[in-house]
Amino acid sequence: MARDRGLFKLDNPWPRIAWWSTAGLLAMSLILGFIVLGSEQQNGPTLGTWAAICRALGVTADIGPAGAPQPPLRTPSRVAWTSATLSQIASGDAEHGAFVALNCTACHGEKGVSQAGLYPTLAGMDGIAIYKQLDDFRAGKRSWGAMNAIAQALSAQDSADVGAYFASRTNGLPLFVGERFQAGHTLREDNPAIRLVFAGDPARGVPPCAACHGPGDHKLGAPQLKTQQPAYIERQLAAFAQGFRQNDISEQMRTIAAQLTPQEMHVIAGFYGIGAAGAQITRR
Amino acid sequence: MQNSRSLALCHYWVAFGAFLPAVLLGAWQMLMRSPLPAPLDDPDAYYASVTLHGTAMAYVLTTFFAMGFGYAITATSLGRPIRGTVAAWIGFVICLIGTVMAVVTVLAGKASVLYTFYPPLLASAWYYLGAFLLIGGSMIWVVLMVVNMTAWKRDNPGRPVPLAMFAITATALLWAWAASGAEIELGGILLPRAFGWSDLIDAALGRTLFSVTLHAIVYFWLMPAYIAFYTLVAEAAGGRLYSDTMGRLTFIMFLIFSLPVGMHHLLADPEHGSGFKFVQSFLTFLVALPTLLTVFSISASLEIAGRHRGGRGLLGWIGALPWTEPMVLAVGLSLVLLGLGGFGGLINMSYAMNSMIHNTSWVTAHFHLIFGGAAVIMYFAIAYEMWPRITGKPLRSKRLACWQLWLWFWGMLITTIPWHIAGLMGQPRRIAIFDYSIPLVARTAALVITSVIGGLVLLVAATLLIIILVRSHLGERVLTQPLRYALAVNPPHQVPVALNGFALWNAVLLAVMVVTYGYPIGQFFFLKSHSVPAVQVTTQEAASGVR
Repeated sequence: MARDRGLFKLDNPWPRIAWWSTAGLLAMSLILGFIVLGSEQQNGPTLGTWAAICRALGVTADIGPAGAPQPPLRTPSRVAWTSATLSQIASGDAEHGAFVALNCTACHGEKGVSQAGLYPTLAGMDGIAIYKQLDDFRAGKRSWGAMNAIAQALSAQDSADVGAYFASRTNGLPLFVGERFQAGHTLREDNPAIRLVFAGDPARGVPPCAACHGPGDHKLGAPQLKTQQPAYIERQLAAFAQGFRQNDISEQMRTIAAQLTPQEMHVIAGFYGIGAAGAQITRR
Repeated sequence: MQNSRSLALCHYWVAFGAFLPAVLLGAWQMLMRSPLPAPLDDPDAYYASVTLHGTAMAYVLTTFFAMGFGYAITATSLGRPIRGTVAAWIGFVICLIGTVMAVVTVLAGKASVLYTFYPPLLASAWYYLGAFLLIGGSMIWVVLMVVNMTAWKRDNPGRPVPLAMFAITATALLWAWAASGAEIELGGILLPRAFGWSDLIDAALGRTLFSVTLHAIVYFWLMPAYIAFYTLVAEAAGGRLYSDTMGRLTFIMFLIFSLPVGMHHLLADPEHGSGFKFVQSFLTFLVALPTLLTVFSISASLEIAGRHRGGRGLLGWIGALPWTEPMVLAVGLSLVLLGLGGFGGLINMSYAMNSMIHNTSWVTAHFHLIFGGAAVIMYFAIAYEMWPRITGKPLRSKRLACWQLWLWFWGMLITTIPWHIAGLMGQPRRIAIFDYSIPLVARTAALVITSVIGGLVLLVAATLLIIILVRSHLGERVLTQPLRYALAVNPPHQVPVALNGFALWNAVLLAVMVVTYGYPIGQFFFLKSHSVPAVQVTTQEAASGVR
């Protein structure tokens, strides 16, 4: 056994077989464990070699708290109620606005009074609300057919001007000014429309509609709804509830609408659309 | 063998002295978990008992038994006095002190952390120190085995080391490698925290280090049984060993394949990626190679003996074997238990299948079959073989010894088969109390009660063992035959150097360990630290006051 001399020399068959078989077993297990097993993911795409090795080592980016999946950053609107914005809207030129508004008549009706349920009446609407919706359409924050293209053709000053024009029209929606919230409309009201509009539903976190949209109170950027097209109101509520419309800055409309049943949306829209809010007030 | 007699005997008596009370505790634990009324019905006592049972069985019984067996083998197989008996006695005393420290601390209720002492559970420093001394003291034995083998080789150049000595040295080296994980964990993580030198404890690193120990220790427990398979069984059956080379290869493969596999105990651990879990799970399957080699080799040896005794036909040799000989009976029973336990182990080590039974009674059942069954039943047979040689006093009755082996065999099956089923039904392990009024738990009641019966049978068998050994001690000294090891069919006159020593295999093992454990352990030092506050189990006064 002359060849049996060197225990660590590779011309001796024992260490040669030992080292090669050990290396082979390790290589086989490493390839299986790190590349084959590492690349297969349940319910996910097959990983590349480098990603598979990293994952098998337990150092992938999707472990650790810092790597928790983040939804993409999304802002509901570009408009913020800064004094610069508000003064630009306030300086809107109604005369130039009337010229711009010629673009609107085909859908929103002559002089801004809509004859179809798809389109809202613009005459009498608050200029601030019109300005914001036009900017949202322009920025793609709100989507509706032709409106995105039309808004993109307008400048910010055009939006302020056309807002000033429609706000000055008296033939459409009643102005916010001069209306007072009437007492006596409580949570115990039987009519669900009156209950929701004037008291909301605190148990579901639903505030009264009138707190922002009138009658009686008004929040910046919220349009008045009295005598608005009921089908339009109802569709907007549904769009907010289902997340198709997402341009409410504080997510208030998405939160509220998601709490309403389709039946409730229908009666609220009907209540505002036929101007019943005013009628109700006068009945008392 | 003069100077090794009292050495081996003292080790054996400590081993079996710890064994009987540990079986008693085990039987009580079965009762405690069952719907039957148990004395001292207290969860705190249960966990202290489990810790004591595990420590006594896994560390005390096995380490002392292997050390005693090692000294006996060194003296008998090399045919000359042991070198370093003084060191051996010092090691014995250190191990004994460690045992007493650990046992007293657990009995005082200050260390109910189970024998695996997983951090962040924190016991009294005395327990860790005891375990550290017990394991550390046995390293003296490891060194003595290596010293005795190399000295013999130097004095007998070119001659093959006797298989028994080769095997016990493999066992010692295996134990040194295995113990390194627990010793580093004890010295580097647990003791500094227990002494109050640090506030936090790196639990993930602790688990990983312990996994180095946790699987190889099982092979350390099994090795005396395998040594008996190869060197004592054929002789007791009146035949010859089928192959000496197969024996050497088996022990070399056990040394290499039992170590880089411990992470299959961590398959559910969140701190490790899937890669090294798979690699070590894959390597675990290679342990089947030496196991199957042994089953083949021992069956062949027994067939040689059976045919020599007049057995004819395909299976006639089985009936011709001397089944009234405890060693022969034990190997038959042991292989049955090893087979059943081994198939259960295939489930445990499979990366995917493990999740079905992880942390259930199935696991407890598995390691009781392998250790309590296959290994310990061979410890009994070795004791029956060795005792007359050491004391010069033969067993009073081999029949009684065979009865004891049968009782232990059936007791282990009655205990562990229902345990396996309960585990598949989802019964968790390491639980003190089950509420059997819950329908899901109530389904396991009959199984658990069956296990209690098995536990009682085991207790009877363990008591019988002590009775048999004491009866032998009280008997008259007669002239006994010296211990003879099985001769191979082709006795080796010269073996390759690779099969006559461990230098090459230690180098291979070192390389494999660096590949398989380098990153899993290293990551805690350069990528992440998982230090967490420790959970003291030493201050339970408030809790027990509420009860």
